[in-house]
Amino acid sequence: MTILLEQLLNGLTIGSFYALIALGYSMVYGVMKLINFAHGDLFALGSYMGYTLLVWSAGAISQRFGLWGGMAAALLFSFFAVGCVGVLMERIAYRPVQKSGRLPLVVSALGASIFIENLIMAIWGPRYQAYPASVVPVHTISLGFFHITVMQLFILILSFVLMLILYFIVQKTTFGAAIRATALDREMATILGIDVGKITLFIFFLGPALGGMAGVMNGMYYRQISFVMGWNYGLKAFTATILGGIGNIPAAMLGGLLLGLIEMLGAAYISSAWKDVFTFLILIIILIFRPTGLIGEKIAEKV
Amino acid sequence: MRRKKLNLPLLLVIVFFCVYPFFSNFYWIDVAFFFGVYALLGLSLNIVLGETGLFDLGHAAFYAIGAYVTAILNTSFGIPVIWLLPVSALAAGLFAYIVTSPIIHLRGDYLCVVTIGIGEIVRLALINNPFKLTGGPNGITGIMRPSFGLFAIDTSIRFYFYVWGILAIFIICLIRLQRSRIGRAWNYLREDEIAAEMSGVDVRRFKLLAFVLGAALAGVAGNIYASKLMIVSPDTFTFLESSLLFCIVMLGGLGSIPGSVLGAGIITIFPEIFRVVANYRMLFFGGALVITMIFRPGGIWPRKREVIALQADEASDVKEDIKALKIIDPMPTSNVATNEDTSIFERHILVTDKLTMAFGGLVAVKDLDLVVGHGKITSIIGPNGAGKTTVFNVVTGIYKPVSGKVYFEGKDITGLKPHQITSLGIARTFQNIRLFPNLTCIENVMAGLHYKMKSYVVSSILRTDSQKTEEKWAFDTARYWLMKVGLGNVGNELAKNLPYGKQKMLELARALSSMPRLLILDEPSSGLNDRETEDLMIFLENILDELDISILLIEHDMNLVMGISHWVVAMDMGMKIAEGKPSDIYNHPRVIEAYLGREE
Repeated sequence: MTILLEQLLNGLTIGSFYALIALGYSMVYGVMKLINFAHGDLFALGSYMGYTLLVWSAGAISQRFGLWGGMAAALLFSFFAVGCVGVLMERIAYRPVQKSGRLPLVVSALGASIFIENLIMAIWGPRYQAYPASVVPVHTISLGFFHITVMQLFILILSFVLMLILYFIVQKTTFGAAIRATALDREMATILGIDVGKITLFIFFLGPALGGMAGVMNGMYYRQISFVMGWNYGLKAFTATILGGIGNIPAAMLGGLLLGLIEMLGAAYISSAWKDVFTFLILIIILIFRPTGLIGEKIAEKV
Repeated sequence: MRRKKLNLPLLLVIVFFCVYPFFSNFYWIDVAFFFGVYALLGLSLNIVLGETGLFDLGHAAFYAIGAYVTAILNTSFGIPVIWLLPVSALAAGLFAYIVTSPIIHLRGDYLCVVTIGIGEIVRLALINNPFKLTGGPNGITGIMRPSFGLFAIDTSIRFYFYVWGILAIFIICLIRLQRSRIGRAWNYLREDEIAAEMSGVDVRRFKLLAFVLGAALAGVAGNIYASKLMIVSPDTFTFLESSLLFCIVMLGGLGSIPGSVLGAGIITIFPEIFRVVANYRMLFFGGALVITMIFRPGGIWPRKREVIALQADEASDVKEDIKALKIIDPMPTSNVATNEDTSIFERHILVTDKLTMAFGGLVAVKDLDLVVGHGKITSIIGPNGAGKTTVFNVVTGIYKPVSGKVYFEGKDITGLKPHQITSLGIARTFQNIRLFPNLTCIENVMAGLHYKMKSYVVSSILRTDSQKTEEKWAFDTARYWLMKVGLGNVGNELAKNLPYGKQKMLELARALSSMPRLLILDEPSSGLNDRETEDLMIFLENILDELDISILLIEHDMNLVMGISHWVVAMDMGMKIAEGKPSDIYNHPRVIEAYLGREE
């Protein structure tokens, strides 16, 4: 029982990472019908940015402002830095290609992904880097029969808050309605006076920014980061987006959490080596029976 | 039909490839070898992605299957690698058939994710070494070199000619496939799946075929790769590898055979050129991909549609040629009604019985009893949203009705797939034109002839006599119909370049070419001016006289409806509200109410 609960907790934690990255995928896909393969690498970039800030001048920030201050600084720095990179990437790699159709966009995204991944390697080197122990809280809280680390708790709470905020923005505000309208019919949205440029800016800032934050949290949780970490998380997050149903933002969050749970339960009860196989098999089976994802997208093709 | 003239540039390229190894060193001959392997892989993905438009990002899985089957069977049982060439192809093809059958119906991006998943599952399975078969993360070593009897292929030069020789054979096969009924069917699928299915193409079958052939070719590449390196390991077959193959096809140009070869060359040569900036090569590569897509999104060597020499390019020859060409129908069909109640079905070619269709909670068509008389024009009218197009979609098999039945020539066709219904003798056009935009007009019309033709993979590759006869027949028949609708002089024009009115006529030609006995037209006059509408009316009346055909149409243009219909059915809110002769319907109060509202 204890093990189950702890596995559930692990699953939710890793699921939060997937969910935050999946949000970025879903937003971009909804508005541009683009699978942003570079998104996972932005997550990695965020991780490295946070690492750089914390380690800079031997952790001066953490020494000055304390552990939590240091973490907050890293998170904020990553948020803004990766957000800016995201906007830049859209301007350079996607906007000029958008008029050419979906497949060239995919290649461009793959190119951007390779570029960013290798940029990270060029700047920070090919070996693993590690978030030093001194900047990360490591205590554990005991709640009766099971333990939860402070880090896990923090990640869960922060992720949940972020997702809640995003859900609120997208579902309950006028701006969010504009985003959803653009996702459903871009041309019509411009005709109705929606500033699609502003929406694109928002999406390419916020999506990557959230992914960057997830990167910092991931770095603090696992402590080890490498320039190849992006693509694995990106792939899983993309899977989560599809699982929920492309273009549906709340569904992406759900898909991410669900995927994390499935993966952890698979690792615990089947085998750690086969856990990814298990996850993909579950995805394929779900898609066979629900071809537009669990919650599904609400698009009908007019014949 | 196709004139063969000496292609000097091609000849020079072939000569270059033949003499290249003698002027080069071992390193660069090896690079050229890998160029060949990637060309094979690029061409194999081109079948799936380029020709058929299926979003496959897990193609390395089939490459891996070929390589590992070769490795396992060779190292465990000593079977010569050469014999394992067809075995690898077969294994990869079979694997593709098994795993893609359940998911072949998935739409674009979902298919993409599933193929990524398949790629990952294969790679992880290879690492995890199930049943101690695959050698785990270190792979399998000690694979033998290929040999023809005593002649072993074990030097760089021999491997070079080995792979390029095999590649040349496959290129010829692929070109022949591309220019055959199969290649056209794949392109139809890629351009517009629904229109393809409606024209008579068995969409599922051809998608599976694309995957199986693509996988088989990748399996061959795997075998060759394994025999050269003598070792296979899982980290060759990663998602990055699948992405590279994807980029090869896109860089070259979708559906372009020379393009895929060129793309393979770029992918292989590029890292070599940038070896000087060793650690940053991939940086440049990523950047190069983005830049290429910005400036040449269609690829560096985009596909050019085959220009078929049409003799009747002048308008003056048109009339004579129409008379000269006979339409030979190789598959005569019978009109025998098989239902007991033959009286209804003798008078009516199409009968619906309490047809009901709903989307979720919205009932679009309710208890519709529709009859269409033999050799007559029946029109369905009604305000927008009345359910008219839905009726068409149910009759033609695009939707399955919630309840009720559809009978065509006495046979129950409810729930059949669209391509089956087309092969029984129904053809249709769409409200928003559904042509194949990047194909030529004549290729568009030939879609209607697809189901009447029989040639498949082997006869297309071998260009058997029956295949050639069939192709000529198809081409002649398509040309006839193009001329009949007045498009005889634009046969080689891409469909998307035609003005709207001509596109409508092209769609009509495609529908007619399948020799339907029931022609279903959805708003045929929308977007046409008065003069064009009159021409259309004359055209429809003419074909009614000339052919054994009945027509069912949806229309809003009352001149057309009143002008040529024998029978009119009015619908509103999913139900039939009136039917009768045109003059009766015109003044029917319920019909007027549906369009204009009631006087208060």
